[in-house]
Amino acid sequence: MRAANSPTGLHPTVLLWLAVGWIGYAVLPWYGLDDNFFLLGWLTDGYPLNDDVAPALFLNLQGQKLWLAPFAILLALPLLLYGRPKNDPLFGKLLMIVGALGMAWFFMQGFGIGLRGWRFEWLNLLFGKLDDRQFGMGYGALLTVTAFLFMFCIGLAARGAVGGDVFVVSSIGFVIGTVGVFIFMPVLQMLANALITPEGNYSLGSFISKIFSERLWSLGCFTGTRCGVALNSLFLAILVGVLTTLLGLVFALVATRTGFKYGKLLRALTVLPIITPPFVIGLAIILLFGLSGAVTQFVSGVFGIQPTRWVYGLPGLLIAQILAFTPIAFLVLIGVVEGVSPSMEEASQTLRANRWQTFWNVSLPLMRPGLANAFLLGFIESMADFGNPLVLGGNFDVLSTEIFFAIVGAQNDPAQAAVLAIVLLFFTLGAFYAQRFWLGRKSYTTMSGKGDAGVHPRLPAALEKILFIVAGFWALFTVFVYATIFYGSVVTRWGIDHSLTLDHYVKSFSIGRTEHGIHFSGAAWSSFWTTIEIALISAPLTAAIGLITAYLLVRQHFKGKEAFEFGTMLSFAIPGTVIGVAYVIAFNVPPIELTGTGIILVLSFIFRNMPVGVRAGIASMSQIDKSLDESSLTLGANSWQTFRKVILPLLRPAILAALVYSFVRAMTAISAIIFLVSARYDMSTSYIVGRVENNEYGIAIAYSTVLIVVMLIVIGLMQLIVGSRRIGRRGVESDQMQSRTNVSSPVVQPSGAG
Amino acid sequence: MISRKLLLAASVAFGALSTTTIARADSVTLYCSADEAWCQQLARGFEQDTGITVDMTRKSSGETFAQVKAESANPKGDVWWGGTGDPHLQAAAEDLTEVYADSPMRAELYDWAIKQAEASGNRTIGVYSGALGFGYNKDLIAKNNLPEPKCWADLIKPEYKGHIQVANPNSSGTAYTMLATLVQLMGEDKAFDYLKALHKNINQYTKSGSAPIKAAGLGETTIGIVFLHDAVAQTVAGFPIEPIAPCEGTGYEIGSMSLIKGARNPEEAKKFYDWVLQAKVQEKAAEVNSFQIPSNKNAKVSDKVPDISKIKLIDYDFKKYGSSEERKRLLSKWDNDVASLPQ
Amino acid sequence: MNEIRSNAASVKFENVTKRYGSFTAVNNVSLDIEAGKLVTLLGPSGCGKTTTLRMIAGLEMASEGKILIGGKDVTRLPATDRDVSMVFQSYALFPHMTVMENVEYGLRFSGVPKKDIPQKAQAGLDLVGLANFGHRLPSELSGGQQQRVAVARALVLEPQVLLFDEPLSNLDAKLRRHVREEIREIQQNLGLTVVYVTHDQEEALAVSDRIVVMNNAVIAQDGTPRDLYEAPANAFVADFIGEANIFDCEIEAVSGGIATVTLGPVTLKLPARGQSPGKAKLAARPRRIEVAKARTPNTLPGKIAKSTYVGSHAEYVVSTDRGEIFIISQDVDHVHAPDTEVGVAFARSGPVLIGA
Repeated sequence: MRAANSPTGLHPTVLLWLAVGWIGYAVLPWYGLDDNFFLLGWLTDGYPLNDDVAPALFLNLQGQKLWLAPFAILLALPLLLYGRPKNDPLFGKLLMIVGALGMAWFFMQGFGIGLRGWRFEWLNLLFGKLDDRQFGMGYGALLTVTAFLFMFCIGLAARGAVGGDVFVVSSIGFVIGTVGVFIFMPVLQMLANALITPEGNYSLGSFISKIFSERLWSLGCFTGTRCGVALNSLFLAILVGVLTTLLGLVFALVATRTGFKYGKLLRALTVLPIITPPFVIGLAIILLFGLSGAVTQFVSGVFGIQPTRWVYGLPGLLIAQILAFTPIAFLVLIGVVEGVSPSMEEASQTLRANRWQTFWNVSLPLMRPGLANAFLLGFIESMADFGNPLVLGGNFDVLSTEIFFAIVGAQNDPAQAAVLAIVLLFFTLGAFYAQRFWLGRKSYTTMSGKGDAGVHPRLPAALEKILFIVAGFWALFTVFVYATIFYGSVVTRWGIDHSLTLDHYVKSFSIGRTEHGIHFSGAAWSSFWTTIEIALISAPLTAAIGLITAYLLVRQHFKGKEAFEFGTMLSFAIPGTVIGVAYVIAFNVPPIELTGTGIILVLSFIFRNMPVGVRAGIASMSQIDKSLDESSLTLGANSWQTFRKVILPLLRPAILAALVYSFVRAMTAISAIIFLVSARYDMSTSYIVGRVENNEYGIAIAYSTVLIVVMLIVIGLMQLIVGSRRIGRRGVESDQMQSRTNVSSPVVQPSGAG
Repeated sequence: MISRKLLLAASVAFGALSTTTIARADSVTLYCSADEAWCQQLARGFEQDTGITVDMTRKSSGETFAQVKAESANPKGDVWWGGTGDPHLQAAAEDLTEVYADSPMRAELYDWAIKQAEASGNRTIGVYSGALGFGYNKDLIAKNNLPEPKCWADLIKPEYKGHIQVANPNSSGTAYTMLATLVQLMGEDKAFDYLKALHKNINQYTKSGSAPIKAAGLGETTIGIVFLHDAVAQTVAGFPIEPIAPCEGTGYEIGSMSLIKGARNPEEAKKFYDWVLQAKVQEKAAEVNSFQIPSNKNAKVSDKVPDISKIKLIDYDFKKYGSSEERKRLLSKWDNDVASLPQ
Repeated sequence: MNEIRSNAASVKFENVTKRYGSFTAVNNVSLDIEAGKLVTLLGPSGCGKTTTLRMIAGLEMASEGKILIGGKDVTRLPATDRDVSMVFQSYALFPHMTVMENVEYGLRFSGVPKKDIPQKAQAGLDLVGLANFGHRLPSELSGGQQQRVAVARALVLEPQVLLFDEPLSNLDAKLRRHVREEIREIQQNLGLTVVYVTHDQEEALAVSDRIVVMNNAVIAQDGTPRDLYEAPANAFVADFIGEANIFDCEIEAVSGGIATVTLGPVTLKLPARGQSPGKAKLAARPRRIEVAKARTPNTLPGKIAKSTYVGSHAEYVVSTDRGEIFIISQDVDHVHAPDTEVGVAFARSGPVLIGA
């Protein structure tokens, strides 16, 4: 009684994409426009005949850009499928060929023809000089190449890939396509720079001498001079990884195992570093512990000790990064500590182990995956951190800032930047794999999904005391630092003039009244609104692509899934500076010309934050019984309908979490952004950096405080929305689902501060 | 089907942002390498006077040079104003900027501004200049019972150990100016002996050129070697900073301006070029705490601007020391002979 | 239009194999399920029964072979496009939809006119006795009720084949018996083709028209419940369905379909079931063996090792030189004490020859 699809006419999905392809080729302007496409100004600028706004078809008909003409032929071919069913062998084959040829030709013409004719000398030799040029691709081109991509995927599905599921194959194709274009292509282009000598030739020798140079690997700090940049970074990252993991564990134990009543408060503290703009903690540390810092002065006044600049370099960096990243370790570990099955610990006790022995031999080993994960996060965060080393580094150079200065400094050496980037990538990916290897051998599953009636035993009393002392001290310290930040924003000039004032807020965020109505006259408004706009646009896109990827990873099986997973998680290990430089290099010239636009900011956010969405999606999707999708499929819904009607509604908490995280991270990112902002699209963080550079700490901190408040409001709203929506499931279960979503989302927090 | 939705969402999103910067009517894209407030003042002032919209990006001269170079195949900027002269000269040498020899404002400019233009084949021009020097934090000097430094020679005295900050010449044009100045002042060998001695007193080589005096302002270091106008700005801002022009004489920078080659708005760029060289525009710099010496002879100078007549200036050879080869040679020598020493 | 009808169709497997990497879950299985019958796939965990079921549903794709439903080749068709519904072990009710929405769900994708959907869904709920529960959320129902919603949701689509994957395993023992009778009743009333997976042999025997016993990725035996119980094809089936004592024996001769079997001192005449003379195995249910006096002719000598009186009957474990034998005796008046010397006698009908 299920309606059978009758093969009359053209298969509807093919028809759809064919139409899209033709609209791209024959209706919309092929190349990028000067003005906003959606203002429709191009319709009155001589469309469709004027060169600037003409669709490809009209260009071709006027004898221009003839290299676009093959698209017309390719777009005509699918018409041959009229009246053929999906299982006709020609159906799949033809669509695959058309799609593949279309994409191949698209990229060949895109990269082969540049601003000044042929891009490569051999093309000149082969075809003679080309007296025409390419512009950046526009909406027409975008639609057409998308249509080819999906036609290829439909063809692949018709040939039986992934159970013949068009939605799944198309999603895979879409994710691979976008990740390929927006992560792999730019990063590879940038890394290729590592081989380029200052004279512009490619040379392996100069690369090797650079990568093994003293500047990176010197052990000088043991003999009185300085250590290499790479070793500095490695050393710092390991220290930060270990210390944040330990502190995170302390907090997690305090919150869950000691009868501590204010666990919620602790959890609230954990959002602070996520919403704290970069630089701010570093600044606060200077204001407190610098040579003229409040604490330094106080101590030297009381004890008569000569103040020093001890905070600049490793000690200051350690303090700042531990402050910033401990909450992340806490978030990871609290889930793990709660996840250790109490019955295991009870079993241990009935086997005559005392509390210490139980903790040491059972509880702690069972937390190993969490510990490894927390370490990895601390390690990568520290490696990628850009803001703190910039203000606190002193003479302790680290890779992330060196990359930045290799590009922007007077030395201007992209090859050196690429080499440093390779070393940085090597470290982060190495940590990634080391963690997998370490965890690979044992099973740590303690959650069976069945109820566990046990109760966690109390910790040894001595341990409990130590935990309280450490946690209490550190929590106070955190509060102190944040209080300092706030105080810094309301005094005239920190360290010089401590009279209270709201000047900094007024200067940045004043609202005036003119005859035209309200006028946002504060200096910060422009970058503030841009930031909000970009963050609001990129958040849903990030969540969408992240969740689709998570769906593919959790629910589908296909060849090359491991490589697919690696590819989508790669941007997690790539520091922002690297992405920023790579985007500038890759997207400044046709075929993809995006520098100076807001799109490039949105894209960089989407692909840098994508792992957040993926992790959040994976975490909560694993909580949804697979039989739900299967029952939907056997009830006749296709996989898209299943995704939309069953999975998405159940993922609501994860979606919101992903939305908020990507929003917040878009507002606090700096390292990639600093390369990508432009006159029209300046972002808050880069504006704040400018203020810091100018010694205008008051404004920088005031602005940061406003951002923190805005993000707190956003997060609070999310909690309200999530909290009020009860899914009709047993209460406990949905509670668990939420808390676990919260825990797992920031697992990919890293590279954020960077 | 999902893809259709995604596409829709994507295109809506992209649409909101897709205002690329290709030749809009009556606008000019300014890359500004000076202080934010100064850049804003110029941009808004030009808009007011001419009605031409200014899209301004503020980045340091090094960053801007990197950007101009990266964008050379498809320039986005029109005019690059400010920042130390070397990157401008470098850009000129690499053919990234446009020749403009017949500006009507040339006649009103000081010789040093014109010389800068000539050194670059008229691809750049001087818009302000500033002498190198240092500044110290009066409070810290008093607190530590240190003598007030007056000369380059004072800075290598052992009592200043750990009290001096200067930028790393690899990343900062200011510090490179110091390097080149000392070489011209003392001769190369002696200059490097001096730098080695100075190295022992340095507490940090910063990345950015003006960071040392800002640190001194906040009391994070006692002495910072910087351009004098940066030191003056700190004093004016209320920090206890005393600017010093070294007694032996010193070098200087010429803040420059270049038109970017292949600009999308060449006409508007030239309009800005001529407008910004006027005396009445240059005079206003002091209003935003920028105390460089204007290049227009008719510009009235604020009393806070260091009196250039009282500073011993060396005859700085911008052509030689701005060239890539000389720069590379000196920097690598500094790296090998100075930076690698223990402190 | 608004009552539930049947579109029962047959299911046919032709040499179907399913591999996961190097692991073979289902190995060269051929199977024929007539329309309108309830067929059970029975076997221990990991035997391939669930994989087989999921291949009918289209949730797994066969690596080799052909699957036909109603004579149409559906081997490459995904679940969405097959006219098959399935009731899951966990019920898989959508927690964010009401009972009614759950039942309507499949109808919305099956080309049923929009206006007919509510009535049709209501008919489904009526059929399973949940007429007034439409507005509730699944979490507000008991396990048995959830189970019925899952059945209703599958039924309203009037599928060619209805699949059940261990549908009763989450219910308590009493409810289990009740629900399985209901399922059987609905199946017979509507004449549905049902394929039913379980690892519970009692459940299988109770509801099935036919049982397919699977073991190690292949079909061990395929027959009516009585066939399987009375005439297991091999030791595995004999042991898996009910309990059985398995003996090594010798077939002396076969004539006229009757084999002469020796088992030590015991000689039996049994249906040969295709066996030829030589070594063979004999399966005997505990109730088909009797405890006789020691040294009775044609008995195996043994000694009572364990003796348990359980009210309705007595259970013995007798040790013999052929191993320990488990016997259930109806004679509760004379319970043998441990260590009593006895003879083990075989009932005339009951013991069956199975392949060696």
